[in-house]
Amino acid sequence: MIETSNLHKSHGSLAVLRGISLSVAQGEVAAIIGPSGGGKSTFLRCLNGLEPFESGEVRVADRTLLPGSQDHRQLENIRAVRRQLGMVFQQFNLFPHLTVLENVIEAPLRVLKMPREEAEARAKSLLDRVGLAEKMNVRPDKLSGGQQQRVAIARALAMQPKAMLFDEPTSALDPRMTAEVLAVMADLAATGQTMIVVTHAMNFARRAAKTVHVFQEGVVAESGPPEQIFDSPRHPATQEFLRECLG
Amino acid sequence: MHYRCVKALHCCHLRLCLYAVALLSLILSNSAAADGLDQIHHRGTLIWGGDQEGGGPYIFPDPKDPQHLIGFEVELADMLAAQLGVKAKFYQGQWEELPQMLDNQIDVALNGFERTPARLRDYLCTRPYYAFGLQLMANRDGPLKSWNQLKSAKPDGGPWRIGVLGGSEADEYLNELHDHQGYPIEAISYSGNTDPMEHVQTGVLDATVADDCVANFYIDRFSKLNLIQWPAQGGYYVALVAHDQPQLLAALNEALGKIIADGRLKALYDRWDLDGRYQMLMLRGAGEAPPAEAISFQQVLLRNLPMLLEAAAMTVFLSVVSFPLAIAIGIAVAIGRMYGPWIVAKPLGLYVEVLRGTPLMLQLFVIFFLLPKIGLALPALIAAIAGLAINYSAYESEIYRAGLQAIPRGQTEAALALGMTQAQAINRIILPQAFRIVIPPVTNDFIALFKDTSVCSVITIVELTKRYSILAQSTGAIVQLAAITAILYMLMSFPLSVFARWSERWLAGESTQ
Repeated sequence: MIETSNLHKSHGSLAVLRGISLSVAQGEVAAIIGPSGGGKSTFLRCLNGLEPFESGEVRVADRTLLPGSQDHRQLENIRAVRRQLGMVFQQFNLFPHLTVLENVIEAPLRVLKMPREEAEARAKSLLDRVGLAEKMNVRPDKLSGGQQQRVAIARALAMQPKAMLFDEPTSALDPRMTAEVLAVMADLAATGQTMIVVTHAMNFARRAAKTVHVFQEGVVAESGPPEQIFDSPRHPATQEFLRECLG
Repeated sequence: MHYRCVKALHCCHLRLCLYAVALLSLILSNSAAADGLDQIHHRGTLIWGGDQEGGGPYIFPDPKDPQHLIGFEVELADMLAAQLGVKAKFYQGQWEELPQMLDNQIDVALNGFERTPARLRDYLCTRPYYAFGLQLMANRDGPLKSWNQLKSAKPDGGPWRIGVLGGSEADEYLNELHDHQGYPIEAISYSGNTDPMEHVQTGVLDATVADDCVANFYIDRFSKLNLIQWPAQGGYYVALVAHDQPQLLAALNEALGKIIADGRLKALYDRWDLDGRYQMLMLRGAGEAPPAEAISFQQVLLRNLPMLLEAAAMTVFLSVVSFPLAIAIGIAVAIGRMYGPWIVAKPLGLYVEVLRGTPLMLQLFVIFFLLPKIGLALPALIAAIAGLAINYSAYESEIYRAGLQAIPRGQTEAALALGMTQAQAINRIILPQAFRIVIPPVTNDFIALFKDTSVCSVITIVELTKRYSILAQSTGAIVQLAAITAILYMLMSFPLSVFARWSERWLAGESTQ
C-alpha cells in the first residue's frame, strides 16, 4: 500500500532522513516512535509531498513520487497521492473562517467535485462518528483542542483516503483530550483503516499498532510487532528511548 | 489670468486647515493694521508677491540663468518700487494664496490679477496696468477657424472640447457662452496655461482659450497650433493691496500714473512684444468699476451648496470606482509576489516600489499628458480612475502581502494535504482569512484615497476641493466656503473612520475568544 525505499532528505547540511525503507500493507496500522529530531514527522510529510526529498522513492498505491524539483507532471502526481492519503496535524490546522461542517465538506466539494447534498450527508455521518454532530454549525475557535482534532480527523476521512497519516495528533492536548482523540483513532483502526501514526502515546502504539518502527537519527533503528518492541527491544537505541519514555 | 499652480493643489487640505485657523484668528484678533507705507519706507523694500510657476511673460526663471527671474511684471515691480524710493523684493507664493498674504507676508500682490467685482470688494485694487483679451487657439489642420463656428456643433456632432485655466476669465466667459447663449461647448479646467495647449496639439482637445499675452508668448513652442482670429472679451490686470492700506494704494496709483505718463510703461511693454501703444490706449479708457455687493454666510451657503454637493458626488464616485480596482490589482500583485516564480515576483516588486516611491500627482500627469504622445489619449475621468487605482494598488498589495504572511503555514499545508491545488488553497483558505485581517488597514487606506481624489483636479477633474477653489476664487468667500467644504469632507469620511475603528475592535474581540 505505502512503501518507501532508501529515502534521503536533508535540511541544508543537516541530514534528516538517511535511507528510510519501510512498507505498510493495506489495513495495517503502523506506529512510528522515537526521540525528537529522529525524522518521524519529516518522513510522514515526504509521503504526501509536503516535503521534497533528495533521493530514494515513495510509492503510494499505484503512484510513485520521485526526488527533485516539482515539475508539472510531478505536481499532478503529488496531488493524486494526496487524494489517497488523509493527514492529521499536531496543530489541527482547521480552517478558522469556516464552520465545522464547512471544514469537512470543503475538499470533497472542490477536489472530488462531489454534489453538496452528498458531501453534507457524508460529513454529518463522519461528525457523528467522531461525536461532534451537534457542533457542525460552530466555528473551530468555539471548540476544545480535542474536539478540533476530532473534526480534523473527520475532515481527512471525508476524502475517503486509502490511508491516514497522523503527525503527533495528541502532542498539543492535555491527557483528557488526548484520551478522546485516541479513542476515535482506535475505533478507526478497528475498522481496518490503513494508518501511519507518529506518536508519543506508547500505550496507543502498543494496543492499536500492528507494527512499530523506531526512528533514530534519520534511520529505522528497529521494526517489529509491539510486543517485541516494547517487551524485548533489541536495539540499544530502542532500549534507551523506552527507558526515558516509560521511566 | 488665473494660473493655478500644480503645487497649490497638493496642499489643498492643508489649506483648508489654514483657513479654519484664519477664521479663528479673524474672530479673535481685533488689532488695527500698522501703516504699510511707513513700514515699506522704514525697511527700504517693497515686498511683492507673485508665482513664478505661472510662467511667461509674467514672472519666470531666465532660461539662460534659472537663478534669475525675468518677466514684464518683474520689471514693473522694480519700476514701482523705485518710484516709492525703495527696492523691490520678490516673494514666491501660490498664486491663489497671494491675496491672503497681503495681511502679513507681502505688501502688494502683482501677478496678472484680473479686476473682478469680488476683488474690488475684498481688496484695494490699483488702477489697471495691463489690458488683456481672450485668444482662441486651435490645431492648424483642425476644422476650427473662427469663434463663430463655436455656435453650432462640431462636424462630428459632439460639443467642442475647449481647455481653459480653471476659474479664469476664459473659464467664466466660455461658461457664460454655454449657459446663456447656448453654445455647444464644454469648458475643461486645467491647472496650467501650457497643459491645454499640449492637449490641443495631441488632439485631446479641440481648442483652448488663454489670455492673449500668454498665447503669444507660448505659441512658438506648439508648432501645430494657430491663433484663431483676434482676441475676444477682455479685461484689466490690477495690483492688489490690503483693504486697510489706502495710503499704499494711493502711492502705487501715483507711481503707475508716473510711469504711464513718462512713457516708461509703454517702453517696457514694447521690450516684451506686448504692443505698448495699444496698451496705453486701452489703459486710458479703463474707467472705474463697481465692486460686488457684500454677501452673508447664508447667501454663500445657498448659492454654492448645490455645486459643492455635485462636486462631492464626483469625489465619492472617484473613490468608490477606483478603490475596488486598486484592491483587485493589489491582491493580484501580492499573490504574484508571494507565490509566483521570480520572473513574475521581481517585476511586481519593482512595480510596487516605483508606485510607492513617486507622487500620485506625477503618475496622473504621466497618464493624462504623456500617454497621448504615444497615441493613447484617455478621457480625464478614466485617467483619474486609472491613476488612483494604480497608485493605491501598490499600497493595497503591501497590506495584502502582510495579511497573507500572517496566515500560518499550517493552513496551506492542511489545504494541500486535502488534495487542493495551490490556487484553490489561496482562493478558498488563505485569502478569505487574509481579507479579515486587512479590513482595518484597507479601510484606513480608503479614507486616504477618498481625500487623495482632490489631486485629480490637476487633470481637469472638478471634484470637491477643486470646486471649492473655483468658487472661492470667484466669490471671494474663502473662509466660509472652506468651512462648508471641510464639513462635507468630514461628513463623508467620518462613517468610514467609525467603521475602521469598529472593525478593529471586532477583530480584536474575535481573536481573544
